[in-house]
Amino acid sequence: MDPRVEAYARLLVERCIDVRPGQQVLIRSTPLARPLIEEIGRLIAARGAYLILRLNWSMWPLDYGWAAEAPAELLGELPEIDRHACDHMDARMTIDAPENTREGADLPPERLALVKAAERVFFRRTMSDEIPWVGCQFPTQALAQDAGMTLPEFEDLLYRACLIDWDAEGDRMRRLAERFASAEQVRLAGPSTDLTIGVEGRTFAVDDGRNNMPGGEFFTSPLEDTAQGVIEFSEFPAVFQGHEFAGIRLEFRDGRVVDATSQSNEGVLVSILDRDEGARRIGELGIGCNPGIQRFMRNALFDEKIDGSAHVALGAGYPKVGGTNVSAVHWDIVKDLRRGGRIELDGAVVQEDGRWLI
Amino acid sequence: MIGSVGDQRVEEYAKLLVERCVDVQPGWQVVVSAEPLGRPLVDAIVRAIARRGAYALPRLRFSVPSEVEWLKEAPLELVEELPGIEKHGWDEADCLIVVIAHENARVGSDVPPERVSAMRRAVRPYQQRLLDGTMAWVGCQFPTQALAQEAGMTLRQFEEFLYGAVLVDWDALGAEMRRIAERFDAASTVRVVGDGTDLRFSLEGRQGKIDALGANMPGGEIFYSPIEDSAEGVIGYTEYPACYTGHAVEGVRLRFEAGTIVGASAEADEPFLLSILDSDEGARRLGEFGIGCNPGIQRHTRNTLFDEKIEGTVHFAVGFGFPDLGGTNTSAVHWDMVKDLRRGGRIELDGVVVQENGEWYL
Repeated sequence: MDPRVEAYARLLVERCIDVRPGQQVLIRSTPLARPLIEEIGRLIAARGAYLILRLNWSMWPLDYGWAAEAPAELLGELPEIDRHACDHMDARMTIDAPENTREGADLPPERLALVKAAERVFFRRTMSDEIPWVGCQFPTQALAQDAGMTLPEFEDLLYRACLIDWDAEGDRMRRLAERFASAEQVRLAGPSTDLTIGVEGRTFAVDDGRNNMPGGEFFTSPLEDTAQGVIEFSEFPAVFQGHEFAGIRLEFRDGRVVDATSQSNEGVLVSILDRDEGARRIGELGIGCNPGIQRFMRNALFDEKIDGSAHVALGAGYPKVGGTNVSAVHWDIVKDLRRGGRIELDGAVVQEDGRWLI
Repeated sequence: MIGSVGDQRVEEYAKLLVERCVDVQPGWQVVVSAEPLGRPLVDAIVRAIARRGAYALPRLRFSVPSEVEWLKEAPLELVEELPGIEKHGWDEADCLIVVIAHENARVGSDVPPERVSAMRRAVRPYQQRLLDGTMAWVGCQFPTQALAQEAGMTLRQFEEFLYGAVLVDWDALGAEMRRIAERFDAASTVRVVGDGTDLRFSLEGRQGKIDALGANMPGGEIFYSPIEDSAEGVIGYTEYPACYTGHAVEGVRLRFEAGTIVGASAEADEPFLLSILDSDEGARRLGEFGIGCNPGIQRHTRNTLFDEKIEGTVHFAVGFGFPDLGGTNTSAVHWDMVKDLRRGGRIELDGVVVQENGEWYL
């Protein structure tokens, strides 16, 4: 077996979750992640904890085949057994290992909105950090293909981004995050982009390889009614639930998207924004810092950590950093700042062309 | 992917399972436990459940037993007790559909038997709901290379075999089995004679059950829980190996006195046989006597679900009996061993021959 799989499993069990005896550790994934799941199973056993495996071709608790044909009145709420599991798991790992990243794209939008609303109960205790959790991926052909790579190339990239000295990275990011936390306003500027967002009083969290693997970002939930201006995501396409959008342009007033255009799939974009009240507000502002990630991969988990990028997420905010926005949507959209972009804190430039000046 | 999408038999199979075997009702929570290779059937089952207005809770597992790597290394006290989340699932599910689709029939055979037993002990109290009828359930198989190989067939042959055994006229077969069961219900002593075999036991006061569109797919057996202390004599499983948890034990021979196995031997893998018989008190007594009646199954395939229904065979399970059939034997074990009676075997009821060489005289 690839020795990196064992190191990866160790990182997830020991650093990200720090599994404790007797815990019920819920893992959701697909069968494609088998080598990693088996290794994790061994490590969880050695730590004297339970493995609650939720394996399906769709990501538990969703099943797109079921959702396509079940009566609409059943879609909006998880079955009681699954709700109970969400409420009683002591830790959770999400291991994305898709065989096709477009899965679910054929589900009618109104059905998708219902099942996504039902899924919220699964995220409730992790969005608030009530329990330890991690989201990660296992290399599959589908992820490699989206990234424009062969599987071995993608494996190399994934392990390079994950198997690093997280303590050292954490120190570096905490130093940057402290500067952001002491500012009142963040400005993202660049070609066709000029967006200001208030962050006063909000906490900046550093992902030093705990809740996401790879980690490598620091982020906050900005003040919900402060975003003003325009941001254009012209460098990379945005991807959400199997849909791809080129050249999204969002205009904000008092925190809300008041105008949204896209060169492709604009109708879908608008339907996502209209899914609920919170979907038009920013739930997260994040700064990508992972030196192992330099290129766009059509993969939110990695792309939001590109060194020299920033991302905003439409939808749900994180209560642990002060966020109050509620939504069934949480859609990270990544903006490359490495060519002509800059970040200002209260008027002072702190990053230019992706390079830190602090 | 095998069992190519669009194979109409898969749709038919799924409908039979969901609509006739367990008859899913609106609002039910239906757990669908399956191995990944069962995917075409699982997809069809999940959709059939959706169309009945019920929740499908698919649970894939890499093998049976599941999570083998965890099972091998976890502290025994954890293996012996289900986690709360899984207990809750067992308590609350309305229905369970199990799809066996092995990728390798030997997976799990390297787990120490005491760990497999511990795991079975953990789940047994919860499986009571399957036995007492408060949770509808059905177990079935989906054709895979491993199951075909185990049966000595190509995948295509095994597909024909499997669908031939499950897509039968269940109403007609059910009526025929009921007719046979009535005779056994009325009898007290059963004697099974065959190669290396002369075993008597009592069914006095016990009622049989026929399996047609019941908990097993394919069905096609009549079964009883015999009077626990009645078995006397010997049985030699000379025709087929006795298959259990990845083991195929050749030439099992069991001698009974007053219902208990007092002598046990095997031509190969004898320590495994003995370790199972010693796993608890009830493992040395009979929990089931069954009669195979499925005309679509004529050959042994090292696949108990099918083998126990071979027309012209009987099977005895060591281990737990069925409370709903009056059985009182408790055990974590239930190991069905199949005896072919088609060449020189016979069944007598109270001294009257009712079956000889696999042919009924009723």
